[in-house]
Amino acid sequence: MKRILVLGLVAALGLALAQGRTVTLLWSGAITGPTSDVGGPYAAGIEDYCKYANEQRLIPNVTLNCIVRDDQYQNPITQRILEEALDRSKPAIYLGYSTGAMLQLKPLIQEVKLPTIPASAHIGLIDPPNNQYMFLPVSSYSEQVVALMEYINRTDRGARIALVVNPSPFGRAVVDHARRAAQRLGQTIVDVREVGGGNLDNTALLRALDAAGAQYIIHQNVAGPVANILKDAKRLGLDRKIRQMGAVYTGGSDLIRLAGDAAEGYLWASSYYTLDENTPGITLQKQLAAKYNRSADTLNSTNYTAGMLAAAIAVEAMKRAAQRFGGRIDNETVYQSIIGMNGPNAFKPGFAVSTKAGIEIDFTRSEQTGAEGLRVLEVRGGKFVPITDPFTSALFRQVRNP
Amino acid sequence: MRNPWAQTGNYRTSYAQDTTIFANYREIVSIGLLLIGLCLLPTFLERSQVLVLNFILIYAIAVLGLNITTGYAGLISVGQAAFMGVGAYTVALTAPHLPFWLTIPLGGLTAALVGFLVGIPSLRVKHLYLALATLAFQEIFVWVVGRSPALAQGAAIPVEMRNFLGLEITFRNHNYFWYYVILLTLVVLVIAWRNLLRGKYGRALIAVRDNDRAADAMGMNPGRTKLFAFALGALYGGVAGGLLAYMQRAVVVEEFTLVRSVALLAMAIVGGLGTVVGSLLGPAFIELLRLYVERLSEWMKGNALIQSITPAGVDVASALLPLSFGLVIVLFLMFEPRGLYNWWRLIRSYFRTWPFKY
Repeated sequence: MKRILVLGLVAALGLALAQGRTVTLLWSGAITGPTSDVGGPYAAGIEDYCKYANEQRLIPNVTLNCIVRDDQYQNPITQRILEEALDRSKPAIYLGYSTGAMLQLKPLIQEVKLPTIPASAHIGLIDPPNNQYMFLPVSSYSEQVVALMEYINRTDRGARIALVVNPSPFGRAVVDHARRAAQRLGQTIVDVREVGGGNLDNTALLRALDAAGAQYIIHQNVAGPVANILKDAKRLGLDRKIRQMGAVYTGGSDLIRLAGDAAEGYLWASSYYTLDENTPGITLQKQLAAKYNRSADTLNSTNYTAGMLAAAIAVEAMKRAAQRFGGRIDNETVYQSIIGMNGPNAFKPGFAVSTKAGIEIDFTRSEQTGAEGLRVLEVRGGKFVPITDPFTSALFRQVRNP
Repeated sequence: MRNPWAQTGNYRTSYAQDTTIFANYREIVSIGLLLIGLCLLPTFLERSQVLVLNFILIYAIAVLGLNITTGYAGLISVGQAAFMGVGAYTVALTAPHLPFWLTIPLGGLTAALVGFLVGIPSLRVKHLYLALATLAFQEIFVWVVGRSPALAQGAAIPVEMRNFLGLEITFRNHNYFWYYVILLTLVVLVIAWRNLLRGKYGRALIAVRDNDRAADAMGMNPGRTKLFAFALGALYGGVAGGLLAYMQRAVVVEEFTLVRSVALLAMAIVGGLGTVVGSLLGPAFIELLRLYVERLSEWMKGNALIQSITPAGVDVASALLPLSFGLVIVLFLMFEPRGLYNWWRLIRSYFRTWPFKY
């Protein structure tokens, strides 16, 4: 009897070893509620990449336990989900979401030393204090806006620019940096307006900006409000007079779907490749969307790409942690792997553009932005088409810490 | 003389009896047992479950305040979250210089002052018009915070407390420490609430709610009473906001928007307007409902059968949560406008009169 018991235990142990360990990756964000148009595809990107990573055994002998949860854009729920996961499944990495919740959770994340890759690219997340474990997958909103201002300066010196931002920390993040950049570039910020969802008539806004002599409007918002402003600008005949452009969450297929032909000519700063480009990341995105029956809207969404990129960085960091630390994958080893992701060890999944040095994603202890390269894209014939080579904002480093 | 332990109702024969804080000895004992239970509760819960409990208790404090303004004085307020925000930002600004046992009351007092000012329109307007005035305050609060560099324009201001009387507050004991602080605060505020309502100021609130002209004719000052109600309700909100700031380790404006105000109002309605028990049951019900619907929603997402029978493109699981909240509030308004408090009253009455029906 005893022999059978021992044999059974050995067999069970063998089976467990063969199956490998389980490591948890946590994401919480707005699948429902405000900004769920971004959160839904972002979550889908993470889910699909996780399934792919498990199917392909990207991390040998490790099964990924990807927890993807809906926080409804409510900070207390985000906090609960994170603390619950810390209690129950001890995630090795956390993929966060909204600006407010991430800013609020910074002290906790610092205390528990949990590497975090948020969907929000608010610069405050990687600014001190409590910033050590925060990593932005792509350049910050501020950097994108400053890059757009540099782009304007290439052809139009001394331009008059209006900023239209979301009435939230997410929107306001860019204002100070834009003002400092304008000063250095000799541009004028003629007005800063806050516009949220439900902006069904923007006549007064556009007339006021026109009266103030704005030649360009730079948006830091989500696609919905921007689409409404574009449609109103077309209706008022101001689309030829005032050029409009915006940071990453303002553009993408959502904007074209919502604004229709009013989106033509809109300029968009983005680090991501478009679906028309056959990079390894985008090819994988198409394959996974087909495999997991994702809708055309999800496939076309840049937020689906963004979710995949965040998950890809996390999975790669775990894989490297396992290789470097003898199979040990936890928050500490994953953190070490992320900050070691640079130089020859930079990560190149093919979701985001590379800088001139050919680097797609890299992090160091002090440089916490992954994809530093970005391009300006323009809507032409109902599609975003890149109109610049990838570049990194030279001015942003100067205005970030003046 | 009736046996005070066996009495099945309140047989009050004097004004002094009528103004006691507790109705009978049995109530004192049951409240004592409840408190002992609440003190022991965290020992049976996970750290993150204590966090949920903390949110419930914080919202209970805010709803208590709302019940003074709306439930007792009848002044509709949709600005309770903004009062919480005033308290939270006061705490955020003073926490680096003062201990928490000073910053939290200070947050409450600042909110009370703001509440007093916001209450001024209540001297001239009533009902929906007053609700609009408080709605305006709610929006003005968010607008002001968003434009104040001193308040980080609504982005996070860290509120950290690492040490209390030599006890190191870390991630491990943070929720437990604040649980007891919040519980103690709630107990003090509930006693203050009951103490207030048994006296002339509390009765004045009810009188002004029921008929302010009659109250005026009886020698009460309706204007002063209304301002008092607003200030006191805001004080409770401010204290709740201060506690929330410490609980969440940071203050961001998104916590104090109209959505939160409406949620607090929903908690007050579901719990039962104008009651202490309702102020506790409402937040508990809504927060636990959220938790369990969330679980159900996740189970539905993972269930192949349910996924196969729902129409393509319709995410029933994701829609479940907002749907259930709306439904619960509508059902309560339709079928149980007196809220959960009424169920509590019926259950208590059943046991008190048992084995008799009445």
